[in-house]
Amino acid sequence: MPERTKLLAAALAPESTSLTGKSLSVTGLRKSYSGTTVVDGVDMEIAAGEFVTFLGSSGSGKTTTLMMLAGFTEPDSGTVSVDGRDITKLNPGKRDFGFVFQQYLLFPHMTVTENVAFPLQLRGVPKAEIRRRVGQTLEAAGLARFAGRKPRELSGGQQQRVALCRVLVYRPPIVLMDEPLGALDKKLRDQMQTEIKSIQRELGLTVVYVTHDQEEALVLSDRIAIMRDGRIEQFDTPRGLFERPRTPFVADFLGAANFLNGKVEEPTADGCTRVRLDTGGVLTARAHSCVPGQRVRAAVRPGKLRLVGVEEGCCSGTVETAVYVGSLTRITVRLDGAAPGTPPLRIETAHTPPRPGERVCVTAAREDVSVFDEMDGG
Amino acid sequence: MAGTALAPGKVRVKTSAKRGHRSRIALVNAVPVTLFLLVLFVYPIVGVLSLSLKGDSGGFTLHWYTDALSGANLSVLISTLRISAETAVLSLLVGFVLAHAIARMRPVFAALAMLIVVVPHFISALVRTYGWIIMLGEHGLINTLLTSIHAPGAPYSLLYNETGVVIGTTSVMLPYTVLVLQGVMRGVDGRLLAAAAGFGASRSTIFRRIYLPLVAPGIGTAGLLSFILCLGYYITPALMGGDKQTVVAALIDQQVMKQDQWNSAAAFGVILLLLTFAGLGVLGLAKLRRTKAHTRRSGS
Amino acid sequence: MMELPATRAGHIGRGITATAILLFLAMPIVIILVTSFGADGIGTFPPKEYSARWYEQMAAPGSDWATSIALSSLVATLTTVFSLILGVTAATALARGRLPLHAAVYGLVLAPLLIPQVVIALGLFLFFEPVGMLGSPLAIALGHTVLAAPIAVLIMISTLKGIDERLEDAAAGMGAGRMTIARRITFPLATPGLIAAAVFSFITSFDEFFIAQFMSTPDTRTLPVLVFNALQFDVDPTVTAVSAVLIALAVLALALVALVRKLGGHRNQQQGVLPVEPLT
Repeated sequence: MPERTKLLAAALAPESTSLTGKSLSVTGLRKSYSGTTVVDGVDMEIAAGEFVTFLGSSGSGKTTTLMMLAGFTEPDSGTVSVDGRDITKLNPGKRDFGFVFQQYLLFPHMTVTENVAFPLQLRGVPKAEIRRRVGQTLEAAGLARFAGRKPRELSGGQQQRVALCRVLVYRPPIVLMDEPLGALDKKLRDQMQTEIKSIQRELGLTVVYVTHDQEEALVLSDRIAIMRDGRIEQFDTPRGLFERPRTPFVADFLGAANFLNGKVEEPTADGCTRVRLDTGGVLTARAHSCVPGQRVRAAVRPGKLRLVGVEEGCCSGTVETAVYVGSLTRITVRLDGAAPGTPPLRIETAHTPPRPGERVCVTAAREDVSVFDEMDGG
Repeated sequence: MAGTALAPGKVRVKTSAKRGHRSRIALVNAVPVTLFLLVLFVYPIVGVLSLSLKGDSGGFTLHWYTDALSGANLSVLISTLRISAETAVLSLLVGFVLAHAIARMRPVFAALAMLIVVVPHFISALVRTYGWIIMLGEHGLINTLLTSIHAPGAPYSLLYNETGVVIGTTSVMLPYTVLVLQGVMRGVDGRLLAAAAGFGASRSTIFRRIYLPLVAPGIGTAGLLSFILCLGYYITPALMGGDKQTVVAALIDQQVMKQDQWNSAAAFGVILLLLTFAGLGVLGLAKLRRTKAHTRRSGS
Repeated sequence: MMELPATRAGHIGRGITATAILLFLAMPIVIILVTSFGADGIGTFPPKEYSARWYEQMAAPGSDWATSIALSSLVATLTTVFSLILGVTAATALARGRLPLHAAVYGLVLAPLLIPQVVIALGLFLFFEPVGMLGSPLAIALGHTVLAAPIAVLIMISTLKGIDERLEDAAAGMGAGRMTIARRITFPLATPGLIAAAVFSFITSFDEFFIAQFMSTPDTRTLPVLVFNALQFDVDPTVTAVSAVLIALAVLALALVALVRKLGGHRNQQQGVLPVEPLT
């Protein structure tokens, strides 16, 4: 049983019936502004009760995609449906979604109570019922003593809690959040992440979340869609993204990666791909549909490269720098035969590090090596 | 990144159907003010224009203009221009000193100073002019003060002459100049001045070579604005000036109210209008040049 | 913040000059206020004796002053109504909509503030004279609206621009309809601006002289016309009391606007009141 946070209590306060989220399905979503394509064909299925995050840098199309789900932006093409019902043409207000924005967007002329009551009034909930539900929600969220205040008299964190209450009070089955924690400091952000996650899990809400913060995405999400240039690069669980990156971009985006070019050799007896590197040495990867002779790029995370004594097929090189950063040491190694201008290998090790200038040999376990076609961008 | 500017961090309803709807709503809403101003502002001014070109017998003529630009009428026009120019210069000087001082005052004093500058703008110009009349008269406060300290030549005649008129009009234009100048002065990065001092520039050099060029656009705007607004000004010259300070506006008033010389009044009105347009044109050109330079800079 | 430190001499010099100029500017107004309570009218300053007799004369029933104050109030009220209607609609179009010919409409709205008033007055005179409407309070109010509406439009534009449109979207997202958004979100947020627009329209009309002068008849003279005549022809000390009332009116109006803005939580003072911003 997770700890009952205040906001979770707030969410549960008005009714005890648990609510289930709805599923959301997106096909072929496209949007361009004056010739520039911002979202270029997004397809995804989001299950009821799932927490899905769009992760990407600014300009990757994540916010525009969210706005199309919300109905604030009309897609050029594609459909959005909820539980199988097409809602692409529906106004935002008719979708019965909840929205939480980075800027909170609390109504400045209304008190906290009035802000939270507003969506209930719109739904024609009787006055006494509104008073009861708003009161209980604010009480549980620890906001009761601010009930009569205007938003500008609250701190950023308090404003964000009110914004969340304003959504939770009317129980939308699907909640869309656009960097809702972007304006908060680190400590408050961590706390709010826990609260949001527990509410979502407890109520079975479907949440679609946008952020550029990797850690936040990993903490919150059941699945993450990594966005790049208006497309979903990969849509997978956090573990899947880490362990089975489907493109060099994903491999590099979530925790950096070293890329090594080479050529596929005959597979090993147990069906693993062997890559003969241009710099000399061989890396072996788990089964991958590669044709012998194909040019490929092998990707290995800095933490997964191991320094070994001379061993069959290892890549030899010279240590350039070694920087101690607390729990581990960051080493860069220039491989023998590396083309001039290629970046050195980045390695993280917790063991006693070699000194700059020392000769080393590098290898990696087969489960830590990903192989991509050389043509894939990254 | 191409998408950065376009990706709506701003949540707007951007559907093509709604866009059409929005511009339709805008059009409907723009109708009342446009219609009103076309009927009661543009059309009457066109009426003034056509009247100024109409002869006594109804045909086309330019003789109201030749009249207006010769003899005593011409000297009225010239004195209007002169008073406007003097006002522009004086209000610029006083406005500059004030704005500069206010920019460096502590916030409380700055707010108080702005109050003294701006509040009179909302008090009837007649009332303010009346105050000046009481104050500047032969036995007014200023002359009493100057006489009591035995200032040479006191009492001065500060009223019913050009000095009086320019003092009055300057006080009317001052809120504009101070506000415009304050706008540009706020935009000056104090670190630039400090940097210049770091190179060894003296205070006067910094003022001349750095500060003045930075605020120059504002000086131009403020000066032209008070010149333009002064051209058609009437109350102060009429009440604080003597016979020699008849201005165009007063002449128009006389010709309409006392002499029934509507055509001639109209011609003077058109002349004032053209002078105003010329001034606004200069302002617009300067603004255009600045904007162009700016887009060039940010475009590269 | 790196800045050039002020020299002591410069600081003192600037302070003294600025104070002198400000005193000089404030003096005429102070003089009027004091003189209006002087028993001997426009005699010596400061007055030797104080009384309220000029105020009594001004307010005496049937006096020219009382009549013209009533007329001016009527005209100013009409003007306020007209310019609020025009101001709200025009600002909605200019600040919110995608208005075709935006620049042209904006220019047209701004023009009356920059065109010489004597030309506007002459034009209005020529417009209303043939239809025999000179002296009509409605005609004067329509004329004043030419000057007041642009001010109302500018104030309302800056008010509407100051309202975050995303708040309206947020309400829409919760299911609020167009009317509900207007009533519950936009209108309450625009109230301080509406009051400012009303107040400035009112005093623009109440203080306006030139148009009223051209459109007045001997029977219908607004307060400023009467004041002007009093100043130009007969020296009636009552005019000091009238002037003091006009000063008080302006100060009260500004205080009201400041108060409403403060209650509305606006930190931005002086917005769009002088047509300075569009020019710079």
